[in-house]
Amino acid sequence: MGRYIRSRLITAIPVFFGITLLVFLMVNLAPGTITDLMGEGAANEADRAALEASLGLDQPLPLRYAGWLAGLFQGDLGQSYFYNRPVSRLIVQRVGPSLLLTGSGVALAVAAALPLGVLAAWKPRSVWDRLASFLSLLSFGVPGFVLCLGGIALFAVTLGWLPTHGMYAAGTFTSLGDLLRHLVLPAGVVCLSSLGELVKQTRSACLESLGQDYILTARAKGLTDGAVMVRHAFRGSLVPVLTTILSHIPHILGGSVVVEQIFGWPGMGSLLFSAISQRDYPLVMGVTVVVALGVLLTNLLLDLVYGLADPRVRYGKE
Amino acid sequence: MTPFRSNPRSPWARFCRNRRAVVCLFLLCLELLLVFLLPPLMGLEPNVSDLEAGFWAPPSPAHWLGTDDVGRDLLARLLCGGQVSLLIGLSAAAISAALGVPLGLLAGYRRGAWEFWLMRLADIVQSFPSIILVLCLVALVGPSALNIVLVLGLLGWTGIARLVYGNTLTVRDQEYVVAARALGASRGFLLRRNVLPNVVAPVWCSIPLRAGRAILSESSLSFLGVGIRTPQASWGSLIQAAADLTVLTSRPWAWIPPSLCIIFTVLCLAVIGDGLRDALDPRSRRLPD
Amino acid sequence: MKKLTALILTLVLALSLAACGPSQDAADVVRYGMSNAWDTLMPYNSPSGSNYTRIVCDKIYDRLAYVHADGSLDPRGAASWESADNGMAVVFHLDENAAFHDGTPVTAEHWADTIALMTNPDCPTLARSVFNVLAGTDENGAAVEGETLGAEAIDQHTLKLTFKSPTAPEDFLLDRNREFYVLPTHLLEGVDPAEVMALELWEAPIGSGPLKFVEEIPGSQLTLQANPDYQLGRPGFDKLVITVMDKSNLLPSLMAGDLDYYAFGGNLAADDRQTAEDGGIEVLEGTVPNSFYELMLNNETISSSATRRAIDLALDKEALCLHTAQGLGEPTATDLTPGTAYTSSLTWSRDVEGAKALLEEGGYDGQTYTLACTSNRSGLAALMQQQLAEVDITVTIETVDSATLFSGMAEGKYDMAIASHTPGALPLWFTESRFSAGNNIFHVADLTPYTTLIAQIKAAPGGPERQELVNQLQELLARERPFIPLWFGRTLHAQSPTADNIDYPSSSFSNENVWEWTLKAG
Repeated sequence: MGRYIRSRLITAIPVFFGITLLVFLMVNLAPGTITDLMGEGAANEADRAALEASLGLDQPLPLRYAGWLAGLFQGDLGQSYFYNRPVSRLIVQRVGPSLLLTGSGVALAVAAALPLGVLAAWKPRSVWDRLASFLSLLSFGVPGFVLCLGGIALFAVTLGWLPTHGMYAAGTFTSLGDLLRHLVLPAGVVCLSSLGELVKQTRSACLESLGQDYILTARAKGLTDGAVMVRHAFRGSLVPVLTTILSHIPHILGGSVVVEQIFGWPGMGSLLFSAISQRDYPLVMGVTVVVALGVLLTNLLLDLVYGLADPRVRYGKE
Repeated sequence: MTPFRSNPRSPWARFCRNRRAVVCLFLLCLELLLVFLLPPLMGLEPNVSDLEAGFWAPPSPAHWLGTDDVGRDLLARLLCGGQVSLLIGLSAAAISAALGVPLGLLAGYRRGAWEFWLMRLADIVQSFPSIILVLCLVALVGPSALNIVLVLGLLGWTGIARLVYGNTLTVRDQEYVVAARALGASRGFLLRRNVLPNVVAPVWCSIPLRAGRAILSESSLSFLGVGIRTPQASWGSLIQAAADLTVLTSRPWAWIPPSLCIIFTVLCLAVIGDGLRDALDPRSRRLPD
Repeated sequence: MKKLTALILTLVLALSLAACGPSQDAADVVRYGMSNAWDTLMPYNSPSGSNYTRIVCDKIYDRLAYVHADGSLDPRGAASWESADNGMAVVFHLDENAAFHDGTPVTAEHWADTIALMTNPDCPTLARSVFNVLAGTDENGAAVEGETLGAEAIDQHTLKLTFKSPTAPEDFLLDRNREFYVLPTHLLEGVDPAEVMALELWEAPIGSGPLKFVEEIPGSQLTLQANPDYQLGRPGFDKLVITVMDKSNLLPSLMAGDLDYYAFGGNLAADDRQTAEDGGIEVLEGTVPNSFYELMLNNETISSSATRRAIDLALDKEALCLHTAQGLGEPTATDLTPGTAYTSSLTWSRDVEGAKALLEEGGYDGQTYTLACTSNRSGLAALMQQQLAEVDITVTIETVDSATLFSGMAEGKYDMAIASHTPGALPLWFTESRFSAGNNIFHVADLTPYTTLIAQIKAAPGGPERQELVNQLQELLARERPFIPLWFGRTLHAQSPTADNIDYPSSSFSNENVWEWTLKAG
């Protein structure tokens, strides 16, 4: 076990440095400078020089990378140009709402995809199968922003059931109901955008396990179709489906950029998008590196858990 | 995995038995033909305003799909936008495959340092939510159709490389390969004759899906303001008109046709992908659908 | 099956939550939407220098006056003002009831100290050039050693500002009021000027404006509460919550009743009028022009004035204006705001043949020009591209964000760019800042003819004499065509269905009368 953990950690180290280097180079080799940030009027020479000098942009690239990396280890991601405060503090404020939105979106997607996928596999061409196909269609073919605005036009403007933006009606937490009402539409879109893939995976995993010997045995024992589905086929398909879900998390996180932007949700996605359009490079670097390292860490932990749970993984990988 | 050579019928024949996939392939080819041939044949001008018809004119005999915010014919823009979207989708997928297959082979066959570093490189790229990396890169290099294709294509290699890598590992330890190697077959021969045919099957299946995803990514980029360059059109940039309540609710002719085109194309590509999988991988059971 | 039950339960729960409607305790909150974020809450440390930051600082900090859209002025931090020292200075009589949110009364010392600190060369003030009209500053607005700074406290409630050239109080306020805020300098005593911007004070600022800071999620949300002791009256609500959201969601949110107002007068695209009205929103037509559209030109890369005039003649301003403003605009040949004291007899016309002749004269060699615009103007740019193609000028369009657009023009990266501005009532509102050595955004080779005329206009007493000089400047501009005036537009304001007494038009001038806003009953 010790060897397995060590080998996983060793592979994670170059990935960690690779991620930081990629983020750093991507942002620092990009054309344009901080002074692009300054709009009309504020753009005179004196202001530009003052700003550039105060940010140390005249130093050579490797030195700046080393400095940024050293800061990263101490949790210091630099100072945002635009907001004039530490990047780390800006990010900390946004992590919670982002996790809440993607978490509930994924939870909804799983809650909907598992039963739908099983039903669709159990009774092909039934209403459930058609519903599954329809939802997959929405999720594969319709861009996220159309779902967002369509949802707002229908559920908020026409029907008046749900709020259009933000997390709370009055700016702060008042009640759980208020938060949930604000969560329904954005989480619904996040859910829909990952639903198609999940339903598809569940359905084919179920079909796959329906053909396995143990299912035939179960049927031979005289179990009803329903019982076979739920007790055996569904269980057998759980592992591949969960793997799909986990491998999808980075994409779901990415997909929420559009959702957060439209709904004014105070998460990492909207922070990143505005940072890109404002050319706030330290902030762009901070958010991308935090998201990527989060994914790296999650994968590492999952690998370790798999390794603990299943000796075959441990030895197979060595 | 057994090499599909052992199967008597050719994959193409098996693909042809899947009627849905064949129909979709036919429709997709038809769509490609229409999109590329109709504009010159009908003399459609996607970038010329018809100020007499006016801005946002509803569908009429002169403009079958109406006009857009500057009075340009929407049918012309839909077709020319289709050229751009389809080209973006297909070429991004092709670039990913062209990079991913050799890199995956290299990692799986040479092992050692190649394996370690190529797979770490894939780990690095895959640690980023794809849209975030694409958004940053396109915003930084400047939005244009070419840059979008390059960024989507260059970032998409990891998935394919992993597929190829995994299959290469399996094939390379098969008895017949080991035997051939023992008999003194050259590395190039082995790769060409034994490994490559077995690892490209899953790649073929994943290309249509990737093309579909690239088309969708382009539409998200258009919404975020880093899509293709005006006055060029793409399906994504046409749908972007719907990012306005008035257009969304009262001018459906502006955004429903490009949305339907995207859905239709992505769907066709998905069915073709499934068909290819069934045809190329003889083990997979035909799923009842 | 359990999962299915759970799913149905979740749906039922969601629908029942939806049915119970917004809670009652949200009744005295004004929900305010904004499409872009402000940057910092320290007005003199704003890297973007954007109107979004100005409109937010307008709530927390107090200014000298309130500027109406028609150019009239109301007292705010100053109760009255008058010219002094033969027009070289203005004396402001401050409102004696004004106080900071910590209870400290606002005095003339605060104003004088604010200006002294911000013009101090050691203090890293951004956009310091707003102070460059004051005596004792250089052209960047930094205090010059050995000279007396033109900002002094005569007594506790009398502030005197002295200028470099004679300036009427109205001219000064119309031009600079939105940049002059009073800071709580009593909290800055003993702070090294170099460290002022790094203070934590600016993350929870104390001002003397109509609203107090409560909390902030930078870039996303700002919560403010009513300042009950504001000298012009207590706002008619308890809290104001500003949320940043995509611009496509502003109108839907207003229609759904989830926003009470959105920034800059609830501005509505002419195209959305019907949708808004169908959704029960009353739409108010602005009466004064509040936008001026221009095509910026790079006079270095388009070096022949004949070519620049040809571009002017090639554009069909009527069609451009119809596309963007749908009849709510007037095409123009000058930058002089219609309805103000100074006018011009110049007119515009489209002349394709004339343009072609001028192109030949200018020696245009078929070069392709780059036209920059922001993404919401790409339709307008495409229309221009077609009009220019009719006279065989080829243009490629580059869609960028507005900061990149202006910095790109400043660096000479683009040949033309579409920009719009909030017009001013003064004859030099547009030209003065753009034809100066520090900000030669059109890359004019020789600024002297412009700067000479501009200086003469500033020194002129007004009336016919000034009008004559204004005419001369406009003729010079028409001859040289360093930029192309397109049209003056008026805006539609989506009226709040839930809040009253909002002065919609004045919002484009970066101030809002929040202290007069009230929430409708029920």
